[in-house]
Amino acid sequence: MGTIATSVLTDGALEFAPPAARESTVAVSELTKRFSSRASVREMLRGHFRTVATVVDRVSFDVQEGEIFGVLGPNGAGKTSIFKMLSTLVVPDEGYATICGKDIWTEPAQVRSQLAAVSSDERSLNWRLSARENLLLFAGLHKVPRRDAEALVLAMLQRVGLEASGHKMVAAFSSGMRQRLLIARSMLARPKVLLLDEPTRALDPISAQELRVFLRSELVERQRCTIVLATHNADEAFGFCDRIVVLNKGRVLATGSPSELRARYGEERFRIVTAQPHHPCFARLETMGVMHRLKCDGPGIDEWHTLECSIAGDSSQTASVLDVLHQNGVPVARLERIEPSLADLIARIIAASNGHAHA
Amino acid sequence: MHMREIGAMIRAAWLTETSYRMNMVFSLASLLTMVVPLYFVASALQSTMATRISAESSQYFAFVLVGATIYTFVAACTSALPSALASAIGKGTFEAFLGTPTNWGTLFVGMSGYNILWALVRATVMMAIGVAFGARIAFYGLIPLTLIVFLLVLAYGAVGLIGAALLLRYRTTGPLLNGVLTGSALLGGVYYPTYVIPSWLQQVSKAMPLSYGLRAARRVALLGQPLHAVSHDVILLALYVTALLPAGILCVCISLRYARKSGTLGHY
Repeated sequence: MGTIATSVLTDGALEFAPPAARESTVAVSELTKRFSSRASVREMLRGHFRTVATVVDRVSFDVQEGEIFGVLGPNGAGKTSIFKMLSTLVVPDEGYATICGKDIWTEPAQVRSQLAAVSSDERSLNWRLSARENLLLFAGLHKVPRRDAEALVLAMLQRVGLEASGHKMVAAFSSGMRQRLLIARSMLARPKVLLLDEPTRALDPISAQELRVFLRSELVERQRCTIVLATHNADEAFGFCDRIVVLNKGRVLATGSPSELRARYGEERFRIVTAQPHHPCFARLETMGVMHRLKCDGPGIDEWHTLECSIAGDSSQTASVLDVLHQNGVPVARLERIEPSLADLIARIIAASNGHAHA
Repeated sequence: MHMREIGAMIRAAWLTETSYRMNMVFSLASLLTMVVPLYFVASALQSTMATRISAESSQYFAFVLVGATIYTFVAACTSALPSALASAIGKGTFEAFLGTPTNWGTLFVGMSGYNILWALVRATVMMAIGVAFGARIAFYGLIPLTLIVFLLVLAYGAVGLIGAALLLRYRTTGPLLNGVLTGSALLGGVYYPTYVIPSWLQQVSKAMPLSYGLRAARRVALLGQPLHAVSHDVILLALYVTALLPAGILCVCISLRYARKSGTLGHY
């Protein structure tokens, strides 16, 4: 698990101590990137001909071997820029990063031999070639010996479930198949670190879940691969990642395991599906301070209502609530935890940072 | 240079091109439509041109055929890298290539390799069609001819490198490639010897590597002269290569560094 040291500064910003570079598979310290662009006509009239935007602002985190690390943030948070810097396609302005101990500044070729980046952009495949030929091309570029390439390509196609479609032109593939092919391509080099940029963006929920199961069982558990996954989907980050860094506007807002972040920033929200949302038992529990912030949605087509609420305390308290509801004859079809949305989480973290600042 | 990686890229490009079968058929068939008019026009002008081209050939059709073939080949080699690069950036494969451990030099050779090989096939077919129509070639001059064409490809390939650098930096080669290639076609002695053009333009033609390359190529391939007889032109060509190639490589290095810094490697 993570070794990063987190502290709250007096101005409310969460700051991170430099990661322990030698121990971490991925160590990022104070990474900063600014992009300049041509100014608008209005800006030019004011004498400013270039505008500089800081897209990654002193970002630090570290990832341990075999960990699935989520980089969570809305569009424009700097996720892709961080990935491009880690895969040496973009040069940072400041800061350091190492991949398996190799420095992105001084050893870019060695870094690229340790990691593979999978973009969600299917355009990086050659659509006029078959899946097999696409993989053979990249096996060559990854310096896989010719005599091993065929067998390796076949194995990778089998591993991602595309062995029957290996001869088909990629243009005929579905988005899910192309995504799996991109992952197969990245695995050709047997990378120690896999950077996945929104891998489930184009997938339906079932394919997305299958992909997550595959990533954990095949890459992490079997190959001890370290995965850094960028996503703007809070459900994915909380349900799939071992640890998460939350970014907004290029800055790190928080880092921790899903449970740590929930405990730190979330009142836990629950969804109760019941046929009697106005049962006095709910009001009693609310008066006692066990349940609060109740919100009831109208009945669905089957006359069952969805009640959203917060339950104070830990999981045993939640179990007690369910027990009380049953004892009082309240019909409950389902009680489940609601993962906070990304917007909620960011708002809470910002609010928490401001709270620290005021304190 | 890593032949495994280059071979993989050329193979992939070949498979991609063969997926457009009719394109390849038309590409070869178009050569016939290039050579046949040349044959008829050159035959008609033979008596007029005979004395003017005597220093390089006795047959005007062979003179034009060698000029047009070498020019077509050199032009294809010049634009091979910029067009392959533009295509890779447009398709989105360029960043994926750069994300592999293969260095950019090998990638660039691999990306342009297929275009150059295909241009070589087209040039060979073009010469074969010309020979079938009666062009007289001194086949024992093929080895020095190969050396001269190789030097020409390096000299113009350097212009292609500068074009690739412009493409990485500004997303366009601007007028560079068209300017150099059109200028070379008009003033480099492709269809007529350089000394028939006005004297002030001859000074411009002397600045073009193609002028020296074509003159030397015709003398070895059509008159059967040995390499030492054209050594002056070959040395000048080698000097062009020595000056242009490092400049081209330097421009690409600078542009790649800029694109990595500005994050525009994959932009199109």
